Amino acid sequence: MTPTRSRAACAAAAVLSAGLLAAACASSPQPSAGGPPATNVSIEISDAGCGPNPATVPTGPVNFAVTNPASDKVTEAEVLGGGKILGEKENITPGLDGAFSLRLDPGTYSVYCPGAAKDTWAFTVQGNGSAAADTSLTAATQAYHDYVVTEVGQLQTAAKTFTDAVRAGDISAAEQAYAPARVHYESIEPVAESFGDLDPAIDARIDDVTDPTQWTGFHRIEKALWADHSLAGMAPVADKLDADIATLKAKVATNTYQPAELANGASDLLTEVSTSKVTGEEDRYSHTDLWDFAANIDGARKAFELLQPALAATDPDLAQQLEARFTDVVNGLAKYRSGNGYEDYGAVTDTDRRSLADSVNALAEPLSQVAGKVV
Amino acid sequence: MELSRRRLLQGIAGAGAAGAGLALAGCAPSAAAAPTDVVDFHGPHQAGIATAVQDRLAFMTFDVTSTSRADVVELLKSWTTAAEAMTRGAAVPGAPPDDQVPPADTGEAVGLPAARLTVTVGFGPSLFTGPDGSDRFGLAARRPAAFVPLPALPGELLDPARSGGDIAVQACSDDPQVAFHAVRNLARIGRGTVVARWAELGFGKTSSTQGSADGDPGGTPRNLMGFKDGTRNIVGTDDAALDQHVWVADADGQGWLGGGSYLVARRIRMFVEPWDRDRLGDQEAVFGRFKDSGAPLTGKAEFDAPDYAATGADGPVIPANAHIRLASPENNGGLRILRRGYSYTDGIDATTGTLDAGLFFLAYMRDPNQFVTLQRKLGTSDALNEYIRHVGSGLFAVPPGTSGPDDWWGRALFS
Repeated sequence: MTPTRSRAACAAAAVLSAGLLAAACASSPQPSAGGPPATNVSIEISDAGCGPNPATVPTGPVNFAVTNPASDKVTEAEVLGGGKILGEKENITPGLDGAFSLRLDPGTYSVYCPGAAKDTWAFTVQGNGSAAADTSLTAATQAYHDYVVTEVGQLQTAAKTFTDAVRAGDISAAEQAYAPARVHYESIEPVAESFGDLDPAIDARIDDVTDPTQWTGFHRIEKALWADHSLAGMAPVADKLDADIATLKAKVATNTYQPAELANGASDLLTEVSTSKVTGEEDRYSHTDLWDFAANIDGARKAFELLQPALAATDPDLAQQLEARFTDVVNGLAKYRSGNGYEDYGAVTDTDRRSLADSVNALAEPLSQVAGKVV
Repeated sequence: MELSRRRLLQGIAGAGAAGAGLALAGCAPSAAAAPTDVVDFHGPHQAGIATAVQDRLAFMTFDVTSTSRADVVELLKSWTTAAEAMTRGAAVPGAPPDDQVPPADTGEAVGLPAARLTVTVGFGPSLFTGPDGSDRFGLAARRPAAFVPLPALPGELLDPARSGGDIAVQACSDDPQVAFHAVRNLARIGRGTVVARWAELGFGKTSSTQGSADGDPGGTPRNLMGFKDGTRNIVGTDDAALDQHVWVADADGQGWLGGGSYLVARRIRMFVEPWDRDRLGDQEAVFGRFKDSGAPLTGKAEFDAPDYAATGADGPVIPANAHIRLASPENNGGLRILRRGYSYTDGIDATTGTLDAGLFFLAYMRDPNQFVTLQRKLGTSDALNEYIRHVGSGLFAVPPGTSGPDDWWGRALFS
């Protein structure tokens, strides 16, 4: 979590200019101005398949609504492009529905629903130009909103796997599910300040809370798993984690962000990674810190990529330098990949930790200049 | 835009760019203090070597993390510009203040005078040749033959975490915060190209480069053992001695280093608690000087020439293993070095509960072998060795000074 930042930014708001106030604490819904309107696409999944309706849309934001009236066999839908999952909705059992948003360039995509008689359906985006090449900052902040909404959707699903294991008292399954669930929270940490009290409720460490008996969230259960080796008393904590994430999901659906908030949030987060998280303090019991770092970098990079067109127009050198330094950091982390995730952070030597910190520092310094260029 | 720290202090910030370096001397409110307060940045030699020794030191070495020669050049240009401004008491140049970005200058020197700040830069052997023998930046062919890492020397137990570095920055000032501000801001500017390797703060000068005639009040400053050591240091205005012992001549080898020098930095831990229990007579025998006056044991006043031939009832008046005898030019074929060291402390040694304190030895010389020769002798025989140990080390080639606003540190090396 980001306790000092969230407290400091909002407490100081009274003495800041109105512009900064909006940047630091924006959370009220605002209609998005400019840019193409969003298109709504419904995907009804069944044993037969998952045809999108309409199957052809114009360039721009697309809101997908996934429903499952009756199929036990098919419970998920993914939108694929260029061999990658661009957005997905999992665990849509009969009677449930779900939604996600994407901003899509013109091209051919597919909707995939494993298990169906016909599991791949065509989806086309028509038009000229590129959705991503829209240099308006409105488009950038809207796209970041969409990204956060998608990540929180995935967080809810992945956390449920984790909390189900906790409630079932299955230590091994819970340990397996812990890091993959956290990834979807750490990736949106650049804007965690806007989550208010949900951030400490979900992500506080033991030294962040005044009363340890009131400590909740991922790290409380992390301690139970890896330090106490017992899940006794953890079911209510798991229930509260699910509830807090559900509240977060409702909140981010209406949250809006300022360009400077994205830039400063990303910069502050990387600074935190390089100065304190690098010591291994975040996942001190599980040593899954590298998963978090990678997600933090992904989320910061997402913010940068969205601001990049606007930045390139005002300061192409800075944009290029940031590209190169993001690449350095990503390459530095890639050395520690293992299976679907990352090595145990306890096995990373002090020298290698310093090297990670150096590369993140080198990135965070120019990133601190971005907010001044995009407001 | 450039802001003079003094002008900020006077509350007239933003009244106009103080672009010319003349501002302080010519029309700043504090003009009266300016002539002695600002050390010229440009010149044939870098400032901070022959310059009259300032009270405080901030020293930092850096490792280059970038693999790009262009990045190193850009860094040196940016550093030169920033150091020149700070030397004048101005803020680090940059964009005007903007609520949305961090300020270009970190700010802790706002309101402080220039305080005779000098910033001196040197290049380590590792900048020329990597540990694997690689020619990192196309400089290997320009490495002077004399410029090889110091050999293992007697009297040392070096901590790699406090030794070496691709680039060293020595900032000296009469104000500790002005000195710290200088290295901190260079470290910040360099982020992404260099990372800091180790640093040392010196809280009190132990050397004078002003000699006996118009020297510092009280003569040579004392080290933490309470002694005046280095009394016969090279005087900063003695051009003949500087040319012979300190400045590298064009003909010495690599032309880019002509007018430059070599810097040897040694973190010399003093075991002050045992020293404080040693009787006065022995302390004086160890140095070969009287503690109170600083005079050699054969003289009456600090600057009296030592008489190494004088004998008493028990043998030589200045003992055979006395520090000044072993270090003296008379006993080393005329070898001299320019010393510029500072006392340091880094708190308490956690293992022993003793003070982690000593001398941060800085010496400039024409050839690193001058130091090697002296330390081979001192490290083997010096009576002082019972109370000291060399625990950190660095050797750096210090390029010549910059000629003017278009010049930058190391231009001749990289051109």
